[in-house]
Amino acid sequence: MFAQDTIAAIATAPGLAALTIVRLSGPEARQVASKCFAGQDLTAVESHTANVGMWVGPGGDRIDQVVATVFLAPRTSTGEDVVEITCHGGDYVAALVLQSMIENGARLARPGEFTQRAFLSGKIDLAQAEAIADLIHSTSERAHRTSLAAYEGHYSEQLEKLRTAILELCALAELEIDFTDEDVEFVDRTELRELVKHALNQTDELLRSVRLGTVVREGIRVVIAGRPNAGKSTLLNSLSGRDRAIISEQPGTTRDVLEADAEFDGLRFRFTDTAGLRQSTDLIEQEGVRRAHDMIAKADIVVYVYDLVYGLTEEDLDALEETGEKATILVGNKTDLVRQHTGEGLLLSAKEGPEAVIPLVHELVKQAAEIFGNPDVSRTVMNARHKNHLKQAHEALLRAGAALDARKSPDIFSLDLHAAARELGMITGVITNETVLGAIFSRFCIGK
Amino acid sequence: MFSRFDVIVVGGGHAGTEAAAAAARMGARTLLITMNLEAIGRMSCNPAIGGIGKGHIVREIDACGGIMGRAADAAGIQFRMLNRRKGPAVWGPRAQSDRIEYAAFVRAALEEVPGLYMRADMVTALEVVGGRISGVRTRLGRTFHAGAVILTNGTFMNGLIHVGERQFGGGRMGERQSTGLTGQLQELGFESGRLKTGTPPRVDGRTIDYTAVKEQPGDEQPMPFSFMTDALTDDQMSCHLTWTNPQVHAVLRKGFERSPMFNGRIGGTGPRYCPSIEDKIDRFASRERHQLFLEPEGRRTTEVYVNGFSTSLPEDVQEEALRLIPGLEKVHMLRPGYAIEYDYFPPHQLRYSLETKNVRGLFFAGQINGTTGYEEAAAQGLIAGINAVRTLEGAAPVILRRSEAYIGVLIDDLIAKGTDEPYRMFTSRAEHRMLLRQDNADARLTPLAQRLGLVSEARCNRMQSRRDAVQLTIDRLSNHALSPESVNPYLRKVGTTPIVEPTKAIRLVRRPEVNFHDLLRAADVADQIVIPAPGMEPVEQLVETSVKYAGYVERQEEEARRMASMESREIPAGFDFATVNNISMEAREKLGKIQPETLGQASRISGVSPADIAVLMVLLRSYAPS
Repeated sequence: MFAQDTIAAIATAPGLAALTIVRLSGPEARQVASKCFAGQDLTAVESHTANVGMWVGPGGDRIDQVVATVFLAPRTSTGEDVVEITCHGGDYVAALVLQSMIENGARLARPGEFTQRAFLSGKIDLAQAEAIADLIHSTSERAHRTSLAAYEGHYSEQLEKLRTAILELCALAELEIDFTDEDVEFVDRTELRELVKHALNQTDELLRSVRLGTVVREGIRVVIAGRPNAGKSTLLNSLSGRDRAIISEQPGTTRDVLEADAEFDGLRFRFTDTAGLRQSTDLIEQEGVRRAHDMIAKADIVVYVYDLVYGLTEEDLDALEETGEKATILVGNKTDLVRQHTGEGLLLSAKEGPEAVIPLVHELVKQAAEIFGNPDVSRTVMNARHKNHLKQAHEALLRAGAALDARKSPDIFSLDLHAAARELGMITGVITNETVLGAIFSRFCIGK
Repeated sequence: MFSRFDVIVVGGGHAGTEAAAAAARMGARTLLITMNLEAIGRMSCNPAIGGIGKGHIVREIDACGGIMGRAADAAGIQFRMLNRRKGPAVWGPRAQSDRIEYAAFVRAALEEVPGLYMRADMVTALEVVGGRISGVRTRLGRTFHAGAVILTNGTFMNGLIHVGERQFGGGRMGERQSTGLTGQLQELGFESGRLKTGTPPRVDGRTIDYTAVKEQPGDEQPMPFSFMTDALTDDQMSCHLTWTNPQVHAVLRKGFERSPMFNGRIGGTGPRYCPSIEDKIDRFASRERHQLFLEPEGRRTTEVYVNGFSTSLPEDVQEEALRLIPGLEKVHMLRPGYAIEYDYFPPHQLRYSLETKNVRGLFFAGQINGTTGYEEAAAQGLIAGINAVRTLEGAAPVILRRSEAYIGVLIDDLIAKGTDEPYRMFTSRAEHRMLLRQDNADARLTPLAQRLGLVSEARCNRMQSRRDAVQLTIDRLSNHALSPESVNPYLRKVGTTPIVEPTKAIRLVRRPEVNFHDLLRAADVADQIVIPAPGMEPVEQLVETSVKYAGYVERQEEEARRMASMESREIPAGFDFATVNNISMEAREKLGKIQPETLGQASRISGVSPADIAVLMVLLRSYAPS
């Protein structure tokens, strides 16, 4: 019914490297490999063994000395027989190895097909499958670590706790509805409210880690704002160590939004330089200013730069007001142009290059840590789908709490508890009506 | 007597009577065969109908023109609306019945249906030709032919009664079991199982000290089950409450070693929510007391049912323990409690029509499918009766959706999930609880029942005028503005913000603190706004529910629509789940056994995880029928 063929692909990244792995998965994996392998008979070797031999092309030409690692189903990454051929690095050799596999009956794998097979064979759950995709695409050290943690299932553990909490809430609500005539003790509203709060704390925590997850994957959004010609673009260049922005003496040079990345302390920062904030009659510049305001609204951290030559102006103060509660680092730029180094915020001279902005980097890392907490990697949620369900669960719990506060009857607040359970179930596995009843019967003496 | 019928119903209990009545009302010549005509409509266990979830089912059966609701109203001696202080979606009508009156009403109701024949006999074999039912054979040596046969054997098939160390065959205390059918069904390829249920002792009310127990009277304004009932008794009887104590538990424990539950003589599984008293004290050892209800069995008897004391302990232990309970010190036991084991056929062997997959034209309804409860049985009887006739007509079966009726929830649960213990309805089994209210069962189901020819014109008219009265009243509420002077005193009294300008009445009714009835009385506009409707339920109540719950109802309707999309994702017929080695072994087995028709059904099968469903989704997407 389903094509259970054998697939092959180069498993390592293209480019120059010491070693390259070409992988086979499927019922014919060992047969395909053994046809090209001069050495041990790969169809006869034990599982999880590494075998040295010569890889020989279909035409009999020796391609490379390789290590063939054989994994027999079901204890393999895909649940099928897997053979990994480790050959010497370089795209050319790997391509020849892959080519010979295909000529011997394997099919070139589609993108993600190995992961799909692992998922289909029940080797990994959906959360893990999604984490693998993130693992492959992780762009910084911390992203790598969080993906790894999700893959290893830590995050499922945290969700399981939340699931238990919600299940208990549902059971208590249902107890009150279906067993009202029974001689059992119903929890009072305060206690129920506490339990909702407890569950909310958990969703909250998970959601905050979603934010961290996004941050880890996409980088922390830092917007550099300030009046025209305060030196924002210069600062961007110094922070990213590149000449990304065109700098000129002319105020209003940056009319659109410029971006640059840098990694500090294992965290990825995405710096955005914005058009100077000022009233302008130039239509294009106006549009730039509007975008700058948008960017500030979306930023995780705002670095507000002012010109020490002019000091903090009214316009600066207005703009600062606009950043509101957002984490803001105030930078007084152009210490090179003023004699007295006094003023609010960090004082520096952006144009003196990366060394000159180190205090700002320290401050950025510190602020990031404050905003996103001490990133407990195991709790980090990585994925947009999970985030959506978690958010829905969180909102349902909020509504349940509000319904409890408004003294609504259990048939009403249970709607939201069930909604929360359903959303969470989309990540951790369904919470059925039967599960809820089971929880009731195991805890309460029901039945006349 | 004829020997050819359209439909034959085997069994005269709650499933059998509804099945026979429905089939005959739809125009089928129907024969109901039962071992004992006097036992038709008999309540084997407690003398009560309804409750939370169960009461909803009774209302639905009634909306389809069934017997149960009218019988319970006519035979009712005490009426209570459970959960009245909670939202209307979970109100559960419940009534104590006069056991004898109840059965008499059911019998009379059957006798009123044209084309319904009854016969006292025992069906000993089925006639099956080429995988299709053709009739039944009886102990009296007759063969009756029919294109559809409905088995509603209850606890009678190989029924085995246990009282302490004694055990004997029987379908109910004092009635013999039926034998032979299980073996034949097994030969036809059916898988059978054993379930267990129990019943408490009955005692003589004259020996109860009613001064030592707590009275539980009926509702001051009793509400009926049937939409057609216009009056209920004004002379209700009370139930009484008493409690066990540690001394009682100690005596019961003494009997454990002689209990069939504990020494392994009972192999069948009992219901978790209806445990025996010995189960309760064993599993919840820390509880010092358990509540008991003393329920009168009728007006013309002093017999009392000791609800909560279901037991299969030896009779002497039962009596000794009972006499340590306050109020029962001198009690005389009329009949001991007992446990009964019986055969059932795991319901995954059924289609959604309740027709068996193995034998065309053969239907199962009631406890034979692993359920417990009169209401659950009656609901299945109704559906089996309807679909038996539909099959004969070559029409599509009637399948109620989960968002349409508790009956739909019941049957979907049975078929998609199966059951390891006797299945009972709870409102928590229904995910669309807001839609499935007891007050709107007529609006939900009577139109369908009308199309099927199940209900009288009078009932249709009543449903219509109730619905119209509610809508018209709501329209008037939306148009009628109330002045601050007329309502502010009331609004202040119930603790909600007074109004400053004339305000549409509907906006005030939406406030949680406001009671519709009281508001209109306070403003003295009830006559101008409320359109009266026939039946005992005040229109105010129905309107208030519609208005206050509108938002939640909408939400659930939206959910039901979303669910329907899963339901519409069909799994191709003949899909071989066994070859899907990517899902858990358990899921593979269950799916293969149940053969769900849609992904929605598959997702509700226990043991089938969301991961399994995700796999199926992926596979179905790439599945091209060859």
